[in-house]
Amino acid sequence: MELLTNLTINGLATGMLIFLLAAGLTLIFGLMDVLNFAHGGLFAWGAYSSVWFYALTDSFVLAILGAILTGVILGFITEKLIIKPVYGNHVQQILITLGFMLVLTEMLKVVFGPNQIAVRTPENLVGSWEIGDVIIIKYRVFIIIVGFLVFGIFQYILKKTKIGLIVRAGVLNKEMVQTLGINIKNVFLYVFIAGASLAAIGGALFAPYSGVIYAEMGMEYAILGFIVVVIGGMGSFPGSLLAAILVGLVGSYMAYYVPSLSLAVNMIIMAIVLIFRPQGLFRAKG
Amino acid sequence: MTSKYQWNNIFLSIMVIALFIFPFVTDSRTWTILLTQIFIFSILAMSYDILLGYTGIVSFGHAMFFGMGAYTTAVMLDRIEPTIGVFVLSIATGMLITGIISFIVGLLTLRLKSHFFAMLTLALSGLFLVLAEKWRSVTSGNDGFTFRAPEFFKDRMMFYLVVLVCMVVVYFVLRRFVQSPLGHVLVAVRENEQRTKSLGYNTLHYKVIASVVAGVVASLAGSLYAISLRFVNTSVLTMDITLDALLMTIIGGVGTLIGPIIGAGVIELSQHFLSGLAKDYPIFERWIIFFGILYILVVIFFPSGIVGTIRQAFHKRKKQSVGKEEQSNSEEL
Repeated sequence: MELLTNLTINGLATGMLIFLLAAGLTLIFGLMDVLNFAHGGLFAWGAYSSVWFYALTDSFVLAILGAILTGVILGFITEKLIIKPVYGNHVQQILITLGFMLVLTEMLKVVFGPNQIAVRTPENLVGSWEIGDVIIIKYRVFIIIVGFLVFGIFQYILKKTKIGLIVRAGVLNKEMVQTLGINIKNVFLYVFIAGASLAAIGGALFAPYSGVIYAEMGMEYAILGFIVVVIGGMGSFPGSLLAAILVGLVGSYMAYYVPSLSLAVNMIIMAIVLIFRPQGLFRAKG
Repeated sequence: MTSKYQWNNIFLSIMVIALFIFPFVTDSRTWTILLTQIFIFSILAMSYDILLGYTGIVSFGHAMFFGMGAYTTAVMLDRIEPTIGVFVLSIATGMLITGIISFIVGLLTLRLKSHFFAMLTLALSGLFLVLAEKWRSVTSGNDGFTFRAPEFFKDRMMFYLVVLVCMVVVYFVLRRFVQSPLGHVLVAVRENEQRTKSLGYNTLHYKVIASVVAGVVASLAGSLYAISLRFVNTSVLTMDITLDALLMTIIGGVGTLIGPIIGAGVIELSQHFLSGLAKDYPIFERWIIFFGILYILVVIFFPSGIVGTIRQAFHKRKKQSVGKEEQSNSEEL
């Protein structure tokens, strides 16, 4: 029982981190038809900058805000300089975002040094609760709560506000939105920045969770993010949450029961989904 | 048109002859090794260009074919015996294995759209990397293993010449391939897949063929790479190899075969000199960042790379001069 609870909480926490990464990817793809291979770089930058801000201010809230700031700035730069020149050309988009990923990763090494950096958990989130004989680590619960909170906020924005309405309409039909007199290019920019900040928050939460950060983690988690986006259906926001939880749980159980398969299993799930149901398990709806 | 090809051929022959003579003139070990490395990566980049430049497919899984070739050669030379016969056999085996695997992978993945294909190949090559790390009895995982190269290759110069011959042969075979009717269909797929389909071509078949050819040639590059290091570990399967091929192809020029060779030369040489500079200026330890930026600039501003841009400039000048002549003619009239 204890084991199962722990594995589940662990899987949910990992799933939430992947969700934060994948949510941006799926929104950006749904709206802009751009698959951002540099998204993992934004995740890694979020992690590094939060650690930097935490060391500076000693406040985890400020650290997360700092990561969001980094995400906003990098998102703005990425959209304006990297994505904008190649709208509509898929091959060029893939190539250029991958190149930017390379630059982001190397820049991390230039700024923060090439070695791994150890991260400590914020003081008020250290420790665990004991319920009966089950030990629950506080920080993991915290990640799960934040994940659902972010999901709730974004779902609210998407469903209840005007900008959310425009985004949802844009996912379904860009040209129609434009004919209604809305400058969709601006909406693209906002969505991209929002997606980048989500990735940065994910990175910021990831740093104390794993206890160590390194430049290559961006690519590693981006692959999980892609898997989630594919399984959840490109452009589907709730789909990415469900798929992320699935990937997180499967990864967590597999890592314990069949460790040699744990990395492979998610890729196998994605391959099966892609081959038999290329549109993903969920569809983007209006 | 013929004269242009003749000039190309003459230029190429001079280059090849110069490269053949090179090791006899100088006995600089560094240069021999560096050039060998360039030739090996030229083969890899050319194979990548069959996919990217000629068929318009972005694959992020090219390293798996390279790695399979490297491992096949390393394992066979290590387990059987380090002779030329086994070496040749291992190259053939590697090509056969990659041929079969790229066929299966291609058949399953190439029907997907570009985004999904790129992601799936990324994931698949990750899968192969994990497999190699777990299958320690054969691959020794991340630690890798050293093996003895055939006696014949003990002399760096012999190996240099063999690799050079391989590169030239691959160049001509691939040139024949892309200039064949089949190659033209591939270009048609790149330009407009829908239209090629409506002309009655089963584009999936053609894309699978391109992927098999690219995979097999990459495996050859991998085999030679393993021999050049006399060591193999899982790094041959990592994303870095694919990135190298990508950078070389893009910077050199997509859709040409000379482009990847030039790209390989540019990147390997600058890498060599930039990491030499790193002793004095630490920023050059991260030399890849310059290539990343250069690569982004090339994708935005010169999507056809060094060779393509030079060719375009050449054509423009020709056209302009032709246009001017016509203009002056009409003025005379």
